[in-house]
Amino acid sequence: MITDFPTAPLAPPATAETTAELAAFGGSPMIPKALRRTVFPVITKEDLFGLLLAQRNAPEDVVGGFAEAYREYVGASHAIPTASGTSSLQLALVGAGIQPGDEVIVPAFTFIATAQAVIAAKAIPVFVDIDPRTYCLDPQAAGAAITERTRAIMPVHVHGLPADIPALRALCQRHGLALVEDASHAHSARIGDTVAGALGDAAGQSLMADKNFPVGGEGGMAFFASADAHHRAEDYLRRHGIDYRMSWIAAAFGASQLQRLPYYDMVRARNAELLGEALTETGFFQPPYVPSGHVHAYNMYRVTLVPSAIGVDDLPIHAVKSAVHQLLVAEGVPAREWQNTPIPCHLPFKHRTGFGAGYPFSLNPRAVRDHRPEDFPATARMLESTLVLCRELRAPVEYERLLRYAQAFAKVARRPDAIRKLATDGTFPRPYETVARLG
Amino acid sequence: MELYDTATVLARVLVSGVIMSIEKSDRELPALERLLTKQTARTAAVLVNSRTAAIHAALAGQGFGYGDEVSLPGTDEPTRAFVGWLGMGVGGQGPAAFDDISLSASNADELGTLARRSTAPALVVDLTELGFGPAAALLTDDLGCASRAERLKIFGSQDLRTMWTQQEAEPELVPGVQFNYRLSPLVAACVRMSLTRAGRPAADHGPHVVNQGVTA
Repeated sequence: MITDFPTAPLAPPATAETTAELAAFGGSPMIPKALRRTVFPVITKEDLFGLLLAQRNAPEDVVGGFAEAYREYVGASHAIPTASGTSSLQLALVGAGIQPGDEVIVPAFTFIATAQAVIAAKAIPVFVDIDPRTYCLDPQAAGAAITERTRAIMPVHVHGLPADIPALRALCQRHGLALVEDASHAHSARIGDTVAGALGDAAGQSLMADKNFPVGGEGGMAFFASADAHHRAEDYLRRHGIDYRMSWIAAAFGASQLQRLPYYDMVRARNAELLGEALTETGFFQPPYVPSGHVHAYNMYRVTLVPSAIGVDDLPIHAVKSAVHQLLVAEGVPAREWQNTPIPCHLPFKHRTGFGAGYPFSLNPRAVRDHRPEDFPATARMLESTLVLCRELRAPVEYERLLRYAQAFAKVARRPDAIRKLATDGTFPRPYETVARLG
Repeated sequence: MELYDTATVLARVLVSGVIMSIEKSDRELPALERLLTKQTARTAAVLVNSRTAAIHAALAGQGFGYGDEVSLPGTDEPTRAFVGWLGMGVGGQGPAAFDDISLSASNADELGTLARRSTAPALVVDLTELGFGPAAALLTDDLGCASRAERLKIFGSQDLRTMWTQQEAEPELVPGVQFNYRLSPLVAACVRMSLTRAGRPAADHGPHVVNQGVTA
C-alpha cells in the first residue's frame, strides 16, 4: 500500500556533501534515488470524510456549496464551477462578451489551454511577447497589438505571479476592452488585498488535482465581476446544450482542501523564500522576480540562469541550461523545461483548422499571423535560459528536502568547469528547435 | 473487482494517492476503459467528462467539422443545439453518425445488449445518470476515430499519462481546436463499481444499494 510518507526521512545536508563531487561525475546525489518521490496532493482524513458525507447530499448542493465557499475566498462577485480550467476560461470569455471573430490578446508563453479557450469561444488569439522579468504578458506589447477588432486582453498569472494588472487595466479602460484573467496557476495569488480571479472583469481557473488548490480530479471555476457577465455565460451553456458541470466528487474534495489552502500557501511561501535566498547567494541562479505588492502563489518556480556570474557567458545560454539541467537532475532535483516552444508555434496555431475549415480564423483573416519563435524574443530568451521546479515546490515538502534542493543548486553553481565541459561536449538545439511539447 | 460500495471505492482511490487523470500510475481510467470495451465488444473506449464531450469526440473522431452536415435521425433538441454549436448541421438522411445510450441504475446491466443493437461507427455512452457527476465514453472499432477523439480531449496528446513529454508522431491527427475533456479517476472508479455490480447476478449483490445516498 502506498503511504503518505517517503520510505525514509531525509537528513539535513552536511557541509561536506555540498562540496563533494557532482553526482553526474560519480559523486553522491544530494537526494538519493530512493527518496525522490514527492507526494501531491496531500490527502487527509478530512478529505475522505468530506467525500463520504457528500454522498448523502444532492450533487448540485455539494457542487454549489463548494463554488460558493471558493467564490467567497477569492472575493469574486459570481462563479460557475466547471469540469476543467479550459472550460472555465471559455466561459469567462463568453461572460465578458466575446463574440465570434473578436480578437483576444494572449501571451505567447502560457499553457496551450489559454489560447485554445479563445478558439473554443470562437474568437482569435492574438499572441504577444512577455515581460522579460515577470514572464507575464507585456502590457506594452499588448498595447501595440490592439486593433478595432480587439475585444479583450487575457493575461496569464504565470506560475502564480499576478500579471501587471494595473497597467493592463488602464490599457483596457483606454480602449474599451474586457480584462479576462487566466488564473490557472494563481490560487491565493494577490495584488495588494485582491486575490487573483477577482482582479479582472472575468477569470478562469483550473482546479485540477495537480494545482496548488486541487479538487478531486478535474475541475475549474469561472469568476465574473458582474451579474450580466455571469448570466451571459449561464445562458450560453443553456442555449448551446453544453455540459461543463463539475462532478460532486471533485467538489467535495475541493471543499475540504480549501480549509487547508492557507496553511499550504504559508509552507510554499516559506519554501520559496528559503530557496530564493540560497539561489541568490550563488549569483548564477536567480529566483522568480516578484514586483512589490504582488504575492506569488508558486504553483511553479522558474529559475533563471545568469552565466556571467560564473564566467560561462561565452557559451550559448541554451547549452549552459542543458548542462545545468543534466547536473541538477543527477543530484535528484527534478528540474524541467516546462514548455519549449512559444504557443503560436504549436501545430494548432500553425495549421489553424480550428473547429474545421479554418473556423473561427476565417472570420477575421487580418488577425492571423504565421509566427516564428524569434517574433517573441523575451519568450525565446526565457525558454533558452530557465528551468522550472513544478510539484517539488507546489507540495509542502519537508524542510530537509528543501535544504537539499537549495544545496544542490549551490553545488552545481560552484562547478563552472563541469558546466563548461558538458555544454561544449554535447550538441544542444535551442528548445524551440525540437518538437513542441505541452509541458 | 470486489463488491465495494461507493464509500469503499472512494476510500480505496484516495488511499492510493492517485487522483489525477494524467498521473502515470493511474489505474482507474484504464480499468474502466477495459470494462467498457469488454461489455460493448468494441475495440476502443475514450473516456470523457460529459455526454456532450462524447458527442464532440464521436463527430471529430470521424472527421466531421465546421460546415459539415451529419445524419442523426430522431435526435433531440439539446443534441441538435450542441451539434449546431460545433458548426455542423443535423440532417436526417442516411445512417446515424453515432448511436447514443444513456445508462442509469435501472439499465446499467443492459449495456452489452444495447451496444449489440447499435450499428453506427461510434457509440456514445452517457454514464452521468449513474450518479457520480457528468461522465461519458465513446466506444468504437475505428482506431483512427479513437485516436482523434483522444487527442481532442487532451490538447492534442495521444496518451493521458505522458501528456507533458510526448512528441507528436502523427501531426495530421492533431485537432485544430482542443479541449480538456478528461474524466477524473475517482469518478471512473465509481462508475466501474456501478457497472460491475449491475452486471452481477442479483444473489451476488451486497447489502448496500449502489449510490443510494447520492439521490437521497
